[in-house]
Amino acid sequence: MSDVASPAAAQGGASPTFLRDARGLQRKLVEEYYGRLAPSEKPHPPVAYMLVGGNLTEIVRAFGYDVVFPEIVALNCAIKHQSLENILHAESLGYGLDVCGYVKNDLGLQDLGGTTSFGQIPRPDLLVCSFSGCYIYVKWWEALAESYGAPLFMFDVPYMREEAPRKEDIDYLVSQLWEFVHLLEKRTGRTFDMDELKRVLAESRRAEDGWVEFLRAGRFRPSPIEAYFESIFYMFPINVLRGTPEAADFYGVVNEEVRARVKEGNYPLPEEKYRVLVEGVPPYTNYRTFWDFFRKWGAVSVVATYPKVGGLFDRGFRHDPARPFESIAEYSLGAYVNQSWPLRRQIIADYVKEYQVDAAVIHGIKSCRSFTAGQGDLRDWLIHERGLPTLYIESDHQDPRYFAPAQIKNRMDAFFESLEQRRAVAAAPGVAPA
Amino acid sequence: MSGVVAGVDIGSTTAKCVVLGDDSRILGKSLSVVGIDIVKDAERALEAALADAHLSRSDVAFITGTGYGRYKVYFGQLVVTEISCHARGASFLFPGTRLVVDIGGQDTKAIRINEKGEVVDFAMNDKCAAGTGRFLDVCANALGYDVSEIGPLSLQARRAVKVTSTCTVFAESEVTSYVSRGKDPKDILAGLHASIANRTLSLMQRVGVEPEITFTGGVSQNQGMVRALHQRLGAPVNVSPLSQYLGALGAALHGRERLSGGAS
Repeated sequence: MSDVASPAAAQGGASPTFLRDARGLQRKLVEEYYGRLAPSEKPHPPVAYMLVGGNLTEIVRAFGYDVVFPEIVALNCAIKHQSLENILHAESLGYGLDVCGYVKNDLGLQDLGGTTSFGQIPRPDLLVCSFSGCYIYVKWWEALAESYGAPLFMFDVPYMREEAPRKEDIDYLVSQLWEFVHLLEKRTGRTFDMDELKRVLAESRRAEDGWVEFLRAGRFRPSPIEAYFESIFYMFPINVLRGTPEAADFYGVVNEEVRARVKEGNYPLPEEKYRVLVEGVPPYTNYRTFWDFFRKWGAVSVVATYPKVGGLFDRGFRHDPARPFESIAEYSLGAYVNQSWPLRRQIIADYVKEYQVDAAVIHGIKSCRSFTAGQGDLRDWLIHERGLPTLYIESDHQDPRYFAPAQIKNRMDAFFESLEQRRAVAAAPGVAPA
Repeated sequence: MSGVVAGVDIGSTTAKCVVLGDDSRILGKSLSVVGIDIVKDAERALEAALADAHLSRSDVAFITGTGYGRYKVYFGQLVVTEISCHARGASFLFPGTRLVVDIGGQDTKAIRINEKGEVVDFAMNDKCAAGTGRFLDVCANALGYDVSEIGPLSLQARRAVKVTSTCTVFAESEVTSYVSRGKDPKDILAGLHASIANRTLSLMQRVGVEPEITFTGGVSQNQGMVRALHQRLGAPVNVSPLSQYLGALGAALHGRERLSGGAS
């Protein structure tokens, strides 16, 4: 229930003023990165297109490639309200309404010339389909290969049904990694340098340590970070810049800022009323509106699954220079979306406990069944098996036509109203806490 | 009259207002069609209910807004979603209610509540209008009827047709196709009602079907829909002539609690 102080106040919260230097640095890194890769900037390193899940960033970096993640380009377009034009263009080319928004946004953008507000997206010299768990992705990469005439490497990653990877799976991936190395040697004319790969892996590890330190700050009460809405800003370095000193240094700045927040009492919200776990891909097209729906109720996301799509580093995984290929194989198997639902449920159950979560919000996206299918069962499981109040809402991460603000706000308001009511009843004299 | 409270429910199709006295008796109510100026519609709804109660604005101690237009009830002191309000209203009218089914103009909701009328869980239709009041409006138009006529007509069906479309626009085409094949409009209407009942049941199952079930919202006044739900559930549903006002009634009750320093 909300008091009607003013019509404007009823619609959303105030500005997120807790964000300081790290946010600005992240913007600068994005602009510099795409600026450096712009086709007009000669010479620039060769470019490998890759998928976030199970990516082989370290190996291509060891051969002097830079990496472009079309998913990340697409989500940057979506958050800057540029996705619909690309999607409509892709639909005019024949891609259907139900095709994944990532795919249509990217293919539409590429066909329109690759110009975005954050830079000109370079053409690929190499295509690496690093996540085979989604068959649409495989077809997307095939379309890009046909469009650009660039070589395509398909990396086949088995689905994970057990927490620890099996030796057979690791061996299978390592054999593919060697095949990939030979392809890169042939493409670049360079001999594979194991020492260079180890150096890159050591940088990755340093960035992973810093990223995890940031994510784990959500355990504090109150949380000095927004684990869903803020983390999204900081995923670019851990995914795109991983293996470079800039990525590791970036998290140094982030964590310094978080420590300062604790010292100064500069938290995401003046009062943390609800500690929320968020599961699912964000509605990038209406990201700020969606955030306001949480802030209005004093809800802070203290932990989220989406920032883990580029690796479950907070669960202990690190790239390891002492076991280069094996650790890359483990990383690829360990992508969040590559985990079976029992494993995903266990991760979420652990988060609920570790981060002292009051409620969960699941955001499903129409585009992606491989991420979303099963979220309805997850909701029921959290409510009935774990006793955790859980809300399921649906829109899309890329296509603004699927975001219905009034309906989503209504569900959010009703959900937090019911939490508020339960708290009020539990706090009433003579009522034992649940 | 210091304890008089009002609830104003601005839905997608209609505005409802209920004025409650100190003893929680309904003193007045109003129902009107929502136009493009929601702020004025809300004011008119309140004025009409006050006129029905023979009261003036100064007699009202507390006003609560609910429904999709709740934030346009600028003259109120509290906004509460219609989910919480239908739960409270249904529990007030039928204290044994554990599941509320609200079918309004653009939403269908299944709301599971506890013995205090608090929301335990809820599920709503997707943002498409299939299975809502709007769906019935469109299909009634396609058959040349007013929406108020179709419930009683559906009760006269001999063999309901199967309506399979999950989209309102496609369902309209399906209706036209049945008409062109010479199907009896009553059978088509029964099929439409059964199709909504099927969709509603799946929503109810999402939160758990538990008696008593109370049917609220504008569509609860449609006898054909009441019967279709009853048949699909194999159990009766509570309905009252006040069912359409339960959102506004619940809002007024939330206001009463707030006024007395309670949980709302």
